[in-house]
Amino acid sequence: MSLRTAVAHRNLLYLLSLKELRTRYRKSVLGWTWSLLNPISQMLIYSFVFLVVFGATAPIGDPSGLQIYPLYFLSGLLPFQFFSMSVTTSIGVVEGNASLIKKVAFPHEHLVFSVVLAQVITLLIELVVLVVALMLFGQFALPWYFASLPLVGLLMVFTTGVALALSAANVFFRDINYLWGIVSQLLFYSSPILYTPDVIDNPTLRALTNWGPMGSFVRAFHEMYYDGRMPGIGRWAHLMVVAFVTFAIGAWVFNKLSPRFAEEM
Amino acid sequence: MPAALTVDNVSKTFKVHQERANSLKQYLAARGRNRYEEFYALRDVSFEVPEGEAFGVIGHNGSGKSTLLKCMAGILRPNSGRIDVNKRMSALLELGAGFHPDLSGRDNVFLNAAILGMSRPEIAKRFDEIVEFSGLEQFIDTPVKAYSSGMYVRLAFAVAINVDPEMLLIDEILAVGDVTFQQKCMEKFVEFREEGRTLVLVTHDLGSVRNFCDRAVWLEHGSLVSEGAPTELVDQYTESMLADPSVKDLPDGARRGSGEIRVDRVDLLVDGERTFRVRTGDAVTFRLHFTATERVKNPVFSVRVASLGGALISAPCTRDVDEVPSYLEGSGVVDVTMPDVSLLPGPHVLHSEVTGYGRQHVFDHIQNALRFDVLAGTSRETDGLVTLEPSWTIEGPGVGPIGQVPT
Repeated sequence: MSLRTAVAHRNLLYLLSLKELRTRYRKSVLGWTWSLLNPISQMLIYSFVFLVVFGATAPIGDPSGLQIYPLYFLSGLLPFQFFSMSVTTSIGVVEGNASLIKKVAFPHEHLVFSVVLAQVITLLIELVVLVVALMLFGQFALPWYFASLPLVGLLMVFTTGVALALSAANVFFRDINYLWGIVSQLLFYSSPILYTPDVIDNPTLRALTNWGPMGSFVRAFHEMYYDGRMPGIGRWAHLMVVAFVTFAIGAWVFNKLSPRFAEEM
Repeated sequence: MPAALTVDNVSKTFKVHQERANSLKQYLAARGRNRYEEFYALRDVSFEVPEGEAFGVIGHNGSGKSTLLKCMAGILRPNSGRIDVNKRMSALLELGAGFHPDLSGRDNVFLNAAILGMSRPEIAKRFDEIVEFSGLEQFIDTPVKAYSSGMYVRLAFAVAINVDPEMLLIDEILAVGDVTFQQKCMEKFVEFREEGRTLVLVTHDLGSVRNFCDRAVWLEHGSLVSEGAPTELVDQYTESMLADPSVKDLPDGARRGSGEIRVDRVDLLVDGERTFRVRTGDAVTFRLHFTATERVKNPVFSVRVASLGGALISAPCTRDVDEVPSYLEGSGVVDVTMPDVSLLPGPHVLHSEVTGYGRQHVFDHIQNALRFDVLAGTSRETDGLVTLEPSWTIEGPGVGPIGQVPT
């Protein structure tokens, strides 16, 4: 795998992503609406649990001054969902294209790339909806949409790394698929999506929540969309290291394993 | 001439697992040590495919030819050795791999061509040609799940063939589609060859290797047995296949008749040696060993030679040539000798019969008394049951030199 083959096969990448997008909601009546209904329904459920059942108060955006829990939740949920859906789908796509892998020589990593690309399109649309919602509540979030693009880029790099490693490993051990279900739950609750890191008293756990790989991304999205401020240089540096190290590991694993896909499948 | 493809000392092993760790738990329980045996699918295979030739790879099922093809196509990676591909290559292993049922024919053409390595402008340029070749103009915007299997294959082949490779690897896919479409494919392959492109054909259809290829290799149990001109190679291959004792067994000959005189055994002799294999043009003797339990008057012996498929080829008897003894008793042999047997290659059977002079009363009849194979010999004919050993002359004012092999 190299950048050169990725560029040489950019047509394949484009068409695979297109296929991914076109076939995602096939045979469903609501089709693409699902990609919005899904986060909105989650937002409603968790808001109910958080606000009504636990009677908690929403965090206050600084400097935005927002105090609307559903919007706080959404601005962390959307990037997380992009991440977890990309990885889940990548695992399935590599497994599901066994017949292709066994019969045609092509760069396998494009299967993963195309999934991440298709998912990022969804994320960008969902973020537009979030921006509209924020603007309805008086937070002028449109500039932050564009400011967050580098952040989305880093999240893509990170996600691709995880997706490459797990989708390749899953060819050899199908447990990865199930294991991932648990791990992604763990990541969801350990990242400050439902809550703010401040509510945790234990300093170690708080740091882990704030600076865990996925938590760190979630925090950066909170800061931009909910708080309306630029994440600090430390945050950016941390995210860059996390993203590129993860990608390097994922690419290494995938390169190591992908030549043996055809005989293992 | 430079080689389009070089296979250099290639070996490929597969792990045959006794207890395959399919889950992490099993894997960890075995502490990463999977118990397996190495199975050699390919062992030190080397050959070159010269540029512009049609090259055949033949072998039985399980001989490693598909593994070899996958290694050449870059789908599998050999354990050792090198495969150098010097040409833009396209491999047809399975038609329509990667077609998505919910996408239209048009979308699938673009996607499939991209998987095969074409760029977008290239595909756009060739799109009309692809659709025309497939003959599916009307259905190109229909999802392919609505296609018949024939339509599916036609579209897939049209894409694959229009990738415009300098070298084409073909697995046994010629057997798909209807006859007209097969014809079209074959024409396309011939066109390819005439344009000086390289073709590698992996098959056990010996006819297409013989007729189509310039050169061939023969694989057996993962090793290269032989390499050479297809005609000779195919003959050697057929011989080995027929010599395989597993195909020799026939159900025991069924016997009927009154039994006063019986044929105990039929031997096939060439140069005085017992055998089950003869060549076209050999001096062949069938020896019938008989035993008569009483004195039998005027017994007539006959042999019926037939192809294994059941076509009767010849049924000579002793009465035809006035070789009927006035009586026989005890035991002895009858030899039926053919100095220049004109049977063409293939599996054959012989039925023996002893009758009374009127040919009505059957003393003994053995169905399938002998099963034997004819291999290629003096005649190079392949079709039909026997050679009539014809001679040919061509006359006319515009006849070019005769006997030159086309280049």
